[in-house]
Amino acid sequence: MLELKNVTFRHLIHAPTRIKPWRKQPGPGVLGVSLRLQPGEILGLVGPNGAGKTTLLRMIAGVLPIEKGKIHLNKNGTFEALDGSSLRTVVGHMPEQVRWQGRQTVEDALFELAQMRGSSLKRVNDLLRLVGLAERTKTPLSSLSQGMRQRLTLAAALLGTPKYLLLDEPLNGLDPVAAAAFIRLLKQLTTKGVSIVISSHQVEGLQAITDRVALMHRGQVLACGTLEAIAQNLGLTSTIEARGIGDAPDFSWCNLTEQTEEKGQWTAVLHDTQPNMLAEVLSRGIDFTAWIPKPPGIVEMLCAATGMDVEEVGLDIATAAMLPHRRLGGEEE
Amino acid sequence: MNDGVRILALARRVFLDRVKSTRMMIMLPILVLFLPGMAWGFSDPDIILPGGHQPDEPMEVLFYASLGVVFGATMCAVLLAFDGVSRDRASGVFELRLAQPMPRTHQAIALVLGMWQAIFIPVAILIFISIAIIRWRLGEWASVGDALMHLLATSLILLWYVVFTLLASSRTKDQGTAIAFGVGMWFLFTFLWALVTTMVAYASGVTIGEQNDMQWIALEGALDLLSPNGVYHHLLETRLIDIDRGVAAWQTWSMALAWTALPTWWFIRKMDELQP
Repeated sequence: MLELKNVTFRHLIHAPTRIKPWRKQPGPGVLGVSLRLQPGEILGLVGPNGAGKTTLLRMIAGVLPIEKGKIHLNKNGTFEALDGSSLRTVVGHMPEQVRWQGRQTVEDALFELAQMRGSSLKRVNDLLRLVGLAERTKTPLSSLSQGMRQRLTLAAALLGTPKYLLLDEPLNGLDPVAAAAFIRLLKQLTTKGVSIVISSHQVEGLQAITDRVALMHRGQVLACGTLEAIAQNLGLTSTIEARGIGDAPDFSWCNLTEQTEEKGQWTAVLHDTQPNMLAEVLSRGIDFTAWIPKPPGIVEMLCAATGMDVEEVGLDIATAAMLPHRRLGGEEE
Repeated sequence: MNDGVRILALARRVFLDRVKSTRMMIMLPILVLFLPGMAWGFSDPDIILPGGHQPDEPMEVLFYASLGVVFGATMCAVLLAFDGVSRDRASGVFELRLAQPMPRTHQAIALVLGMWQAIFIPVAILIFISIAIIRWRLGEWASVGDALMHLLATSLILLWYVVFTLLASSRTKDQGTAIAFGVGMWFLFTFLWALVTTMVAYASGVTIGEQNDMQWIALEGALDLLSPNGVYHHLLETRLIDIDRGVAAWQTWSMALAWTALPTWWFIRKMDELQP
């Protein structure tokens, strides 16, 4: 198990003055994050742009230094503090959208990285087969599609048989078929005890694959747990989108969010606050053609966790100021 | 695989990537023109240089032909290495490299070695061809000592330019700035250094450009120690009997060491703290 205890890293940003035009000062980053990665679990790291997801992944990958706090590895019941070099040995890192380019072949490019880890050419070819690039080993990097580049980056992350795999927006650029295969591959890895952290700015794509999610905003983890538990803690309920044909039925008996009617079709968005909602709807004789439960989205979660409204969250840009945030319990820090 | 072997393996990959690159194919004719071409020209039995001097010793010809190294090979070194860090940094591959267990210090050394080999090996081959041309034209081989000194000095000047360029490349995130840094530095030491020397001489009250004025010669010699091109020529001059510019051999070698160690140390340090 990998445990992060109050890890902090702040990027230095230019803050020129007339006397010191080169002056820099600590800016946004990751502030006092504590997390645990259990063997074989998939943790989703969700948050809006600039939340600190990529910075946190880079810290765990040993690419960025840890200014404060520690990362521990639980080995046979004892916790061992890991430095950057030790982290890089046990962690595989897949950065976001690596633009492989040049005349180098796929096999050569991966073997170059493999040599830095002491992995063999056989391992390289095994990994290329695993990610579905066995037929492309001699293809120049410039000829790869975005999906193939993503697969090659995943193969690079898997060099050295890592126990912890960090994936930064891994599904970007993948077509649905490739994404499904990718997710299947991740599930296979977890059965072998590999812990995976996936960062994304969309909750929807992560729901099916993650065991837990950590909600990040302005460099802090606001909440961590299963989506249901987080939503419950934040007092959020799922919504249900119901659709039907004909006149819109009366939903005044339940918590209705939104109802529209167009071209003989109606759509209603209901808060899932009542037990056996579906049974209740059926018992009232409401005829519908679609019944789609929707869990709370990231925007709702962020709004609930930060106390900000949708516009504030949307327009919020992480600044050097690092304003205090309300935690789940309501206390400010 | 131990650390040394890993460094050499990575350096070999960098070397192969660069030496087979399109830009190397474009630069090769320029190098041929500048190195064996100059050796051919300066070894002409009928050549008379502007001062009325006629080079008749192989080392003398190599010394004059070293202008090809200063003008051509160093520029090629800059053009070969300017995106050594910035290209991979911009594409995201650099982050993958930094995520490997190989220490950054070792990665930096491998990068320097690979880039340097990519320019030095073709240049060394062309220098051997130049020596053969001089033998054919003058009927005399350059001594082993002269040839080795020429190769060593050339290897050093190329290393310095590669390291400066990589340093510039590590400080920039876009290719344009990286190449502007590299070419700017090349321009400074190759063309503008004479201007710097003249300005210092003028400020010091030394007669500018007076070839027989010992003060001017000594000042020029001293200021040349502060330029990689100047140190390169000082190194070559240690093999020429008739030249004395008031700089002792130990001073030249000390500056050569400084020009090698300081930028390399700076680059390694920069790589150590570099963020993707």
